[in-house]
Amino acid sequence: MSGGVSGYASINARVRVMYSTLLTSQAYSDLSETIDAEALLAALKRTDYGPYLDKVKDRSLTPRRAVFQMKQRLADAYGSVIHSCPQGARPMLAQLYRHFEVDNLKAVLRGIVAGASWDRIRFVLFPMTSTVLPAQAMVESGNVTTAVEMLRSTPYYETLSFAMKRYSTEQSLFPLEIALDLNYWRNLWSLIGRLSGQDRAQAKRIIGSLVDMNNLMWAIRYRVYHKVSEEELINYTLPFGHHVRDEDIRAIAAGADIAQVIERIWPDIDDAAEMIHDPHLGLPHLEHELRRRLADYCRAAFVGDPFHVGIPLAFVLLNEMEIQDLTVLIEAKATDKPPAEFRPYLVLGGEPA
Amino acid sequence: MFYPQEMKELELVIPAKDLVPVTKVLAGHGVFHQVDASYLSSEAQGGSANTWQEKATVFGGLERRVQVLMQNLSLEEGQPLSSDRDIVVEPDLFVAKVETIEAQAKKLTEALSAEEKQVDQLDGVHKQLEPVANVDLDISTLRNPRYLYSILGVMPTANIARMETSLERTPHVFLVLHQDSSQAVVWLGGMENSSDSLERSARSAYLTPLSLPETYQGTPAKIIAEIRKDISALQSGISAKKQELAKLGQTHKKELAGLLWDLRSSRLLTDAIVRFGKLRYTYVVVGWIPADSIDDLSARIKSISKDTIIETFPTDRDASSVPVSLGTSKYLRPFQLLVTTYARPRYGEIDPTILIAITFPLLYGAMFGDIGHGLLLALLGGLIMSGKVKALNSFKSLGGLILACGSLAMVFGVAYGSIFGNEEFLPTLYKPIIQPYHDIMPTLEAAIAAGIVILNLGFLIGIYNAVKLRDWGRVFFDAKGVTGLLLYWALILALIGAYKEVTLAPAPLLMVMAGIGVVGVTFAEVFKHLIIGHRPLIEGGIGTYAVQAFFELFEAFISYLSNTLSYVRVGAFAVAHGGLSSVIFLLAGDNMATVGYWVAVIIGTLFITVVEGLIVGIQTMRLEYYEFFSKFFTGGGMRFEPLKLQSAGEK
Repeated sequence: MSGGVSGYASINARVRVMYSTLLTSQAYSDLSETIDAEALLAALKRTDYGPYLDKVKDRSLTPRRAVFQMKQRLADAYGSVIHSCPQGARPMLAQLYRHFEVDNLKAVLRGIVAGASWDRIRFVLFPMTSTVLPAQAMVESGNVTTAVEMLRSTPYYETLSFAMKRYSTEQSLFPLEIALDLNYWRNLWSLIGRLSGQDRAQAKRIIGSLVDMNNLMWAIRYRVYHKVSEEELINYTLPFGHHVRDEDIRAIAAGADIAQVIERIWPDIDDAAEMIHDPHLGLPHLEHELRRRLADYCRAAFVGDPFHVGIPLAFVLLNEMEIQDLTVLIEAKATDKPPAEFRPYLVLGGEPA
Repeated sequence: MFYPQEMKELELVIPAKDLVPVTKVLAGHGVFHQVDASYLSSEAQGGSANTWQEKATVFGGLERRVQVLMQNLSLEEGQPLSSDRDIVVEPDLFVAKVETIEAQAKKLTEALSAEEKQVDQLDGVHKQLEPVANVDLDISTLRNPRYLYSILGVMPTANIARMETSLERTPHVFLVLHQDSSQAVVWLGGMENSSDSLERSARSAYLTPLSLPETYQGTPAKIIAEIRKDISALQSGISAKKQELAKLGQTHKKELAGLLWDLRSSRLLTDAIVRFGKLRYTYVVVGWIPADSIDDLSARIKSISKDTIIETFPTDRDASSVPVSLGTSKYLRPFQLLVTTYARPRYGEIDPTILIAITFPLLYGAMFGDIGHGLLLALLGGLIMSGKVKALNSFKSLGGLILACGSLAMVFGVAYGSIFGNEEFLPTLYKPIIQPYHDIMPTLEAAIAAGIVILNLGFLIGIYNAVKLRDWGRVFFDAKGVTGLLLYWALILALIGAYKEVTLAPAPLLMVMAGIGVVGVTFAEVFKHLIIGHRPLIEGGIGTYAVQAFFELFEAFISYLSNTLSYVRVGAFAVAHGGLSSVIFLLAGDNMATVGYWVAVIIGTLFITVVEGLIVGIQTMRLEYYEFFSKFFTGGGMRFEPLKLQSAGEK
């Protein structure tokens, strides 16, 4: 299947239909007003998440399990989008989907280090429809080295084998996780580079904004919390993105005023200094702000020429953000938090759609 | 034959005293597909449930230990030694046995593992040094330099550029000695007073220094030679230890095999119990069973536990939760493999195995119609089925399929008058029905006609499936339902009429058929919602619906046309077969008396049989999967996986 109008006509219609099933601001408002987690789950069962939640008996539908079930909708959405996309764009979308597999791998490794059982870990993982990870066997091995050996025939083994030498001396998952992340984003960016025309421009704009957010937050956190050196910070970050340039990351690494760097990239963020001053409160706020901007980019993809990869790409990211919002809502309701406390953490549900 | 086996939902309430024997019966006959009922447990019984969970975990751990032990002792798992394994529900009874044998093997396996690790390590150093074998430098001089910071090591190629960026402000020398797409052998050097920066940069770029033992001195070439010698010495030691272990293995072979199967059975049994619902004095078991096995299983359970309550329930209409057991005869198994490769039928859905068993060889034979090539293929299929050639055993499941395809190719070969691609010889003996290479257009037209028949069969089965599920919306208002079929026929009759310049049906009739079809397909969702009483009739706004409906109608038109024309490949391959064979004879030349002629003919014939045979197979599969199956087959059924003690560990 080629790209352009003929390639994207069918998926465009399909995605627009799926897009229309995302929760409206009214639906968010109704969900936020529910009295407790039970009422919230009952309300969610009346949405498009209903069929997924109905698969589990009410008694077993814990908050964690509910989130797990809802993620299955996202897994189906990815499957549908990847399957219906023109051939040229599929590898990029498949790689984007793989970030759940990378997260699962990291969760499995953390579970092993924490000595958690498979039953505790399984519903924390993203429900991939197919995966190369022998997750249960890895957890049951109870040992990071053995677990990594089980990945020998997967694309992760080579990356991890370099990082394992550091793991064995430092006994920390930090080098393994960074190696996995860097490898993942480099592969994704390289696949975007193989797209052409509108596809590449749209993917660079949307994925680039996602990279911006991750890369900048990594750089700030490495410097503020981990106190890593300039050389390490550069090696642990990425030299590409949409707005954030490599010079910005290098400036942060070299000790420049972080707030000034942020204000130079996004002049309309005028409270950057306050955010950096109190990083424990400010950094989540900054990340949330950047996520909202990403949501805006995703929504903007639906305006104008519709025959490009930006539409399916934007939809799956918006769907993911919606599930993140619902996770916040479920956890807030399960711990009896009032709306005023959790609303600021909603990306799509915290503002008019 | 046309549908998966009828299943019944089974619920048992077992008194606690009969738990183990009843579970043994359930797991011993391979007919009970268990469903997790642990959520039915009352909270107060959590402790007991946990005990079974703990036992299952211990059995699992012991089973893995025995597997590792057998692997270390080069022993195969084999098959269960007797039909009735000794199922013990106290894991402690196994622990001492496993530990005794482990202790005997421990010393040898540890020494073996240390030596193997050493070989791996030396092998790694060897691989890293090989690219710099020509460098005339004593590597040991780089070991502890006084004024220089130096690392010779390996790093991911992807990290090179970033590491160079990270060192922009630090004086250094960085040399890539060798690199491939994944890793690079590099040397990083600088002043000792910059060592902190260099070290941090190297570490964070995952540059791993070459771990060269102190004993190795000199140039890379000299060290490589020494390493090779050491690896060889280590390998001799390893093979001696392996022999000792194998000897030990023979001593314990029977005992370990018995232990493994006992543990496996016990683990399966306890795993099954963990998924039971535990009430105060009873256990609740839920699952599925083929309807024709209920009486037999009930009788067996009653014979050992009169107090067990057995209830069966009618099958729920939600087909997705019912496991699917396909009871196909062994002759149809190769075709079932083709079906399950695509998808497992859902419960209540038609199992297309018999259909594919008829249409696949027919389409294949039509494309590859040749008595000679078909005979070769049939012989190959027979040879694979016989299992006489070990190298072909991995294709055993395909033997029957190849035999059927080869046989049908021979039948069509007779019809085409074609033998080893020659379409001139046989027509001197009888008049073939059609000769593809000479009658190109009639062949292609016949192929499309066959496609129309097969597609209509697909439509009708799809409609029948929907009728059976009482999904009236799908029966009437669907691109694959009655309205879709009307639209298809209107399109096909109009196109054939235009092509042949004849009137196959009156224009008003075609217009009415097309009109009903277009309305039905365009407003399918509205009609479906009307039938089931779903409101609102249109979801997501009229604009979105209109765009979606337009593209779905467009897609239906395109797919009707492309699905039909797709069958032209059946004729095209039949034509190409004659053409390709004639090329072989052209290449062979005219002189049949030369060796070259026969070499060219034999190689060409084998090439056609294997390569063209394979391509035709792929094309046939494509026609079945995309054109035929898409009309009626949904798939997505759950696999019927009965509890089975003896084959628990088998794939």
